[in-house]
Amino acid sequence: MTAYRLASGGLIDRRAPLDFRFDGRNLTGFAGDTLASALLANDQLLVGRSFKYHRPRGIVTAGASEPNALVTIGKGAGSDPNTKATVAELYFGLDARSQNRFPSLKYDFGALNGLLSPFLGAGFYYKTFMWPAAFWEKVYEPIIRKAAGLGRAVLERDPQAYEKCWAHCDLLVIGAGPTGLMAALVAGRAGVRVILADEDFRLGGSLLAETAHIGGVSAPDFAEMALAELRSLPNVTMMPRTTVFGWYDDNVFGAVERVQKHVAAPQEKLPVERLWRIVAKRAILAAGAEERPLVFGGNDRPGVMMAGAMRTYANRFGVAAGKSVAIFTNGSAGYRTAAVLAARGIEVTAIIDSRTDVSDVAPDGVRVIQSACVIDTKGHKRVSGAVVERCGFEQTIACDAIGMSGGWNPAIHLACQRGAKAVWSEELKTFLAPDVGNGFVVAGAAAGRYTLAGCLKDGAEKAAAIAADLGFSAAVQAQPAVDGEADPSFTALWYSPGAKAKAFVDFQNDVHVKDIGLALREGFGHVEHAKRYTTNGMATDQGKLSGINATGLLAAMQGISPADVGTTTFRPFYTPVAFGALAGTARDEQAAPVRKSPLYGWAQRHGAVFVDSGLWFRPAYFAQSGEKDWRESTDREVLNIRENVGLCDVSTLGKIEIFGPDAAEFLNRLYCNPFLKLPVGKARYGLMLREDGMVYDDGTTSRLSPGHFVMTTTTALAGGVMSHMEYCAQVLWPELKARFCSSTDQWAQMAIAGPKARLVVQALVEDDISGAAFPFLAAGIVTLKGGIKARLFRISFSGELAYELAVPAGLGEAVADAIMEEGRAHGICPYGLEALNVLRIEKGHVTHAEFDGRVTPDDAGFGRMVSAQKPDFIGKRLSTRYGLTAADRMQMVGLKPVEPDQHIRAGAHLLREGAKPSTLNDQGYVSSACFSPTLGHGIALAFLKSGRERYGERIVVWDKLAGTEVVAEVSSPVFVDPGNTKLNA
Amino acid sequence: MASLIHCPHCGVRPKEEFSIRGDASLVRPDPEASDEAWNDYVHIRSNPRGRYREHWQHAAGCRRWLVVERDTFTHEVFSVADAASAAREAGR
Amino acid sequence: MTRTYISRHPLEDLLPLEPGIRAVDHLDIPRAMAIAAVMAMDGEEAAVAAGLAASGDVQVRFTGPGEWLILSQSETPEELHRNLSLLLAETAYIVDQSDGRIVFRLSGPNVRRILAKGIASDLHPAVFEIGTSSNVLCGHISVNLARTGENEFELIVMRSFAVALFNDLRVMGREFDLSADFSAQG
Repeated sequence: MTAYRLASGGLIDRRAPLDFRFDGRNLTGFAGDTLASALLANDQLLVGRSFKYHRPRGIVTAGASEPNALVTIGKGAGSDPNTKATVAELYFGLDARSQNRFPSLKYDFGALNGLLSPFLGAGFYYKTFMWPAAFWEKVYEPIIRKAAGLGRAVLERDPQAYEKCWAHCDLLVIGAGPTGLMAALVAGRAGVRVILADEDFRLGGSLLAETAHIGGVSAPDFAEMALAELRSLPNVTMMPRTTVFGWYDDNVFGAVERVQKHVAAPQEKLPVERLWRIVAKRAILAAGAEERPLVFGGNDRPGVMMAGAMRTYANRFGVAAGKSVAIFTNGSAGYRTAAVLAARGIEVTAIIDSRTDVSDVAPDGVRVIQSACVIDTKGHKRVSGAVVERCGFEQTIACDAIGMSGGWNPAIHLACQRGAKAVWSEELKTFLAPDVGNGFVVAGAAAGRYTLAGCLKDGAEKAAAIAADLGFSAAVQAQPAVDGEADPSFTALWYSPGAKAKAFVDFQNDVHVKDIGLALREGFGHVEHAKRYTTNGMATDQGKLSGINATGLLAAMQGISPADVGTTTFRPFYTPVAFGALAGTARDEQAAPVRKSPLYGWAQRHGAVFVDSGLWFRPAYFAQSGEKDWRESTDREVLNIRENVGLCDVSTLGKIEIFGPDAAEFLNRLYCNPFLKLPVGKARYGLMLREDGMVYDDGTTSRLSPGHFVMTTTTALAGGVMSHMEYCAQVLWPELKARFCSSTDQWAQMAIAGPKARLVVQALVEDDISGAAFPFLAAGIVTLKGGIKARLFRISFSGELAYELAVPAGLGEAVADAIMEEGRAHGICPYGLEALNVLRIEKGHVTHAEFDGRVTPDDAGFGRMVSAQKPDFIGKRLSTRYGLTAADRMQMVGLKPVEPDQHIRAGAHLLREGAKPSTLNDQGYVSSACFSPTLGHGIALAFLKSGRERYGERIVVWDKLAGTEVVAEVSSPVFVDPGNTKLNA
Repeated sequence: MASLIHCPHCGVRPKEEFSIRGDASLVRPDPEASDEAWNDYVHIRSNPRGRYREHWQHAAGCRRWLVVERDTFTHEVFSVADAASAAREAGR
Repeated sequence: MTRTYISRHPLEDLLPLEPGIRAVDHLDIPRAMAIAAVMAMDGEEAAVAAGLAASGDVQVRFTGPGEWLILSQSETPEELHRNLSLLLAETAYIVDQSDGRIVFRLSGPNVRRILAKGIASDLHPAVFEIGTSSNVLCGHISVNLARTGENEFELIVMRSFAVALFNDLRVMGREFDLSADFSAQG
């Protein structure tokens, strides 16, 4: 037994014991503990194995910078790997496992790597595994992957719920220590909208482990009083358990709130974590400072810990990190820890101080060794002594824990995340945040003001200045007096010379001093190169402890200032964030919104099998009992439409209402074919080009009155066409008087197609829709029997006699039911996208399978539609360029296999008979293909060089993916009713 | 994670509400203009580091096209104006 | 043969037929509402805005410069269209959207915390005042958001997104046991 729970003290609830498990052992802690403090209280110091050498590692810190104490919490799909025990709040039943060990933490085979360590230096992988290249994937990588790595990612679906949220404030205060609390109080009292966020479950920061008194009360009591006042202010929101991890453009901060990470039985209605995007007019970074580790031989042995962490464990958690503690320090902070430990009855065996002639006072009876360094540690899984060197003489000091204190690193990460570089302070021997403008200021210890009084004052003053800037009047009251202030001064010590064992810089990635030296010698001395060459700072802790020491070492080794070395780049995230939190609720069915047609329910009732079509769900086919597959259903639907009649939901087509005296002129410029003279009551097929002359979209546009048109677009480009039209109207031709809006969702639109379509539609419509009264391409408003106004268009995609009927969306299902009822006597069937596709291929009609962005109107057989008379339209100028008018362009043709039982697939390429199968001999490609039940064999639409001159020619359809070659005959793309007699019936 | 655009019609909005088309300085040439002019307009784009004027549409908001002047390096937004007003002012 | 066609609301299969027990935070969905899109003709924007402001019995929602959605509880879609045509003759184009838009009314003490899970805009009472309306993104879906009371907001969404938005709002409101049903008044 070495680490233990002190008999009294600490901000824990000793009446509330909490049972938990670590590696299968049943242990007990108290409410208010972190997992780390509870483990220490149970003398479980060894918590993991290191990344590369599998060395035993213990708890080093009491906070978010922890490199070693990474555990997996929970079991199965919901478990969280790489959780820092030092910030994990203890709860009843918490089940934690150590990581990166096999078969157990105590006996780890991987530790053999330690014996190979002379070969595992920096750049080892790059040098060793360079050849043969084929070995990398098969041999090296699997071995390295097995040996290295920390926690295991869970492969199952995460069953936990997450969500994302926005928040807004005038002032975001990051960190609820002395600086942050004071800032929030001053701003809050002035009426500023304040958010105070802190990663800890208990607000107060360093005050919770502080022995000084503020205004006559203990530091934790002072924190409690400040919090009580903040809670009473309605304009202040406090966010505990919330890590602000990123600073983004326009002063938006990313934060993750651990809503239910600390409860045994999470409530289902709450997420486990919540991702916040906090829009802050101003922000104060009051994240404090990290104590800097010392780089000395054997500094990674369990029991070596940050001195400040020892103080926190003693004061806040009532836990002693050891029975006899040695302190290794380069400043006054080491003496402060020694005093706290001594006051708690923990034996301090010695203070080893690298400085000479210092006036710091050690606790009574504690031996101080000045001008001395620790050069090695004794013990295996736990420190048993420190080897101290002074003036060439070595001595071993028995101890079971070593506290190290190497100075201070302000936590400036967030302020450096948008590109500004940290600035070296020669006075403070550390990097400070750059000036990033008044939107985000750094205060307190994060700004290098380490004293308690300095923090309180800085927080208050900076908050008051911000409040005044925002138009609030803030009074800065006199700051309460601090009794028992600590001295933060230190003398930088980047490396403890004479190390007799590996002196680690980065504990998590096993980078030691020699690795940094090697990087420098081999030409990777730039701080960013050294980082990648050695992997220093690349682990999950992102170099929170190691980064500044690596810079200091690189500087010292070259005899230059750390200012000339600089830091590596600070980027979000400050601490790791679960992917689940970043996704929020947008997963599974909610990954993207589903759009539902007003006829969705109708289709469902008729047995539709749905298919994703953009955001829409559309019926693919309507399976009838006894049908074995989609083909059988589709063939039946197609034949029935050619013979009788069918009903298809086309509500998803984009519908745009266009108004205004210049509406016709607007359309005339938008489409490549003319629209100025489209008569009222008529629909016209229109082709929209891109400015480069290629087809963009097609659809019909009808004129309902002289100044009112309604356009349809394809389903896929409904949004794109709308946006394109808005661009043209607002940016290109703002002088045109035309207004438009989408009415896609207002209408349920149904295609009724087949030789018996008129019988069915006439039964429902009061108006005369005979061939004479309502011929092909007629369009207008009709009245349904019963008085409903509807829109009727005589247009056809299938090539049959066909109508499209549009009714207000809410009536869609009722009208579809009525059509089915009226159609029953005529053999009506519902049909889906598959049949729609077969029908249009049979008729040689195009979709975006043909209009793939490389096709001109002429390629698709619409050359004569393009107006030569119009002075201008989108795409006019570039349609006339040479490449788009060349005689050997690929033109749309039909294909049918010479052997009728052979299949052609879309995507196949076309070759001359006898040509070697190669893209060098490419003659074109298949855009659409299907089995035609009407013709009884496969057919296809294809683009073939000079295709329209080659009807009757035999061509090879080469499908390299399927490994097939099919001989096909080139034909007109119109397979069914080329004379349009059915269409015009 | 986020950035905010100040729509002149709707106020401050997250960038997710907008879609970006690109260079706002391009002027659609006269139909009779030279091949070079049209080639430049349709195909040639600069990719500047620094100040840039772009067409953004407030697609999930007011649906207006906007001219956003911003710094491609720092992401600072200098101004946002309605594109139709800008086009009218430019005499288009 | 004369037929009677019954209109369906897209949430009919997802909501109880009878109003249930209301939680403090509640989602109220009117079954039917007359809604029209109004687009001012060029140069008539101010006149149309003034005309709409003067007509007391309809609710006016801003959707873009010179464009509004007009809501009426008391009129049929045809009546609303006719009355707007009279009011705005020769100054605006009017498009019926009564079937194309679905209205959600969200109210309760936690309404802002619910909406913050999908909407980026600052809805603080002093910032987003009663009567304010605007098109915003709620999650992945564009809606028109209006503040209609102290703790009352209204979301208008395109019909095809109604089920998706409803499901989103349910998840957003889960924390506060949000209840939902059709409006009692129809």
